[in-house]
Amino acid sequence: MTEFLQYVANGLVSGGIYAIVAVGFITIYNVSKVINLAQGEFLMLGGMVAVAMIGMNVPYVIAVVLAILLVTLVGIMMQKYVIAYVKKANPISLIILTIGISTLFRGVASLIWGKDAFALAPITSNEPISFGGVMVAQQSLWILAAVLIILFLLWYLMERTILGKKINACSVNPMAARLMGISPAKMSMLAFAISGATGAIAGIVIAPLSVTSYDIGVLLGIKGFSAAILGGLGNPLGAAVAAFLLGIVESLGAGYVSSGMKDAIAFLVLIGMLLVKPSGIFGERSVGKGGL
Amino acid sequence: MKQVIDKWGKSFGIYLILMIVFPFVMPDEYYRSVGIIIGLHAIVTIGLCLVMGLAGQISLGQAAFWGIGAYTSAVLTTKYGLSPFVGLVASAIIPGLFAFILGRAIAGLQGYYLAMATLAFGYIVQIGITEWEPVTGGANGMISIPKVTFFGDSELSMYYLIWGVVTCVLLFSLNLLHSRVGRAFRAIHKSEIAATSMGIDVRKFKLNAFVVSGMFAGISGGLYAHYMGILDPQPFGLHESIKFLTMVVIGGMTSIWGALVGTVLINFISEGLIMMSEVIPGLQGDIDTIVFGAILVLIVMFMPEGLVPRLRTLYEKSQAKKAKAKAANLQSDQRVERKATT
Repeated sequence: MTEFLQYVANGLVSGGIYAIVAVGFITIYNVSKVINLAQGEFLMLGGMVAVAMIGMNVPYVIAVVLAILLVTLVGIMMQKYVIAYVKKANPISLIILTIGISTLFRGVASLIWGKDAFALAPITSNEPISFGGVMVAQQSLWILAAVLIILFLLWYLMERTILGKKINACSVNPMAARLMGISPAKMSMLAFAISGATGAIAGIVIAPLSVTSYDIGVLLGIKGFSAAILGGLGNPLGAAVAAFLLGIVESLGAGYVSSGMKDAIAFLVLIGMLLVKPSGIFGERSVGKGGL
Repeated sequence: MKQVIDKWGKSFGIYLILMIVFPFVMPDEYYRSVGIIIGLHAIVTIGLCLVMGLAGQISLGQAAFWGIGAYTSAVLTTKYGLSPFVGLVASAIIPGLFAFILGRAIAGLQGYYLAMATLAFGYIVQIGITEWEPVTGGANGMISIPKVTFFGDSELSMYYLIWGVVTCVLLFSLNLLHSRVGRAFRAIHKSEIAATSMGIDVRKFKLNAFVVSGMFAGISGGLYAHYMGILDPQPFGLHESIKFLTMVVIGGMTSIWGALVGTVLINFISEGLIMMSEVIPGLQGDIDTIVFGAILVLIVMFMPEGLVPRLRTLYEKSQAKKAKAKAANLQSDQRVERKATT
């Protein structure tokens, strides 16, 4: 039983990270109907920039804040200079475009930082805490806390503020939103900024637990996207729940089946889901074909 | 076939000459091996072009079919001692079967879902190959895969064998473009709804394109295994799938010739980068990743139709201009003549 709970606990932590990535995807998708396949690279950039700055003797807190700001800026620039430029592109072109951006980021990162893996010092000590036999690293608690805070803030922003209403308006009907004096372009930029910032935070909090390197973004991005689809594309709450489920299933699979098959299990779940119910567990919010 | 000759005769002639002459212009074994790799890639990208350009779908897992083909033939010949010919036939059938099952399963999916499903499939295959150690040798891979010796085992005969296959694949695909199937595909690409209402079974056509592309990739993979003699799971991942994607996109998704030109271009760029990294020591990491990423982004931003269709329109425009100028000249000449006579 302890073993089972241990796997569930591990799953919750990785599920939390997938949740942040998934919500990042959906934030952008809802506003601009773009699936940003470079989302995972935001996490990589966040972690790597923080590690690099701490390596240059910048204090921990400042390095973290700078890393988050930098990645947010990258998100904004990406929207402003690339995504906005190809507004009329068809979905296949958009997929190719964001895959290209992701490949580009990965290549640049490998050029700057090399292919080694780096570890970041944990926020508090390395000593794991025992909950009735289930050992949990202190960093895992930080991760869960960060995830919950981010999810809460996003929910608050979307549901309780005027800005959130504006973003929602753009996702429901961009034309009507524009007539109301809301600029969809600006909201889209804001969405990219939000998912850049949340991605960077996620990348930084996981860096102490699992080492960070130039290529961690691909898998994290794909799993986050899987969670977004599992939960029903366009539905942030569904995505967060699906992300935790995915994390737990994966962790149980790694524990009881084979640790090498861990990633394959997540993808089998995804393909299975696409076959049975492509609209996800909670249904696609923005109804459309394949999310288009 | 006749239409194909009418429309593509000139291009095809140029292709044949270049293809046959290349190993003698570059008599170095190294360049012949580059030629062989280009040929292997071209078989995959022509298939991918059918899926992307014609059926308007996307596959981010093409390297997986390539890998399945490679391992099918390698396992059959090395472990069970079958002849490479049998291995190659199987390396077309097995990936085709995989493509059929996957294609059937995801036939209803579009856009992002399709991209995601093929991407996930690619990962599963690579992980599967790595984990199925008793058969595939796992991460250590396989060694001493027999060579294909239909025409002898020199680099040159391998070159012609592979480009022979490329030519068959090319003819098949060009022919397809000008058949009922090709027209149906173009209709699907323009508007699925309109195509459906004209009685085209969109699902069936998409599935066929997917299976054909899987088989092409499989054949290429089988040839790759026998040519290299060794195999490991590493080249059959996302990186290679993105490379194939780049080749098709840079040449022009809607053009079979584009896929071919793109393949040659990207391979030359790769070779150039390898040479550069020998000269410039600072180029650690994956320079090619940066270049491919940049190419994908720039092409979508500034030349979404791709290189070959763009060049063709430019050429046609300049022809039209020339014809116009000629006509204008003729007119003014006549005017001058008339003036002179009066």
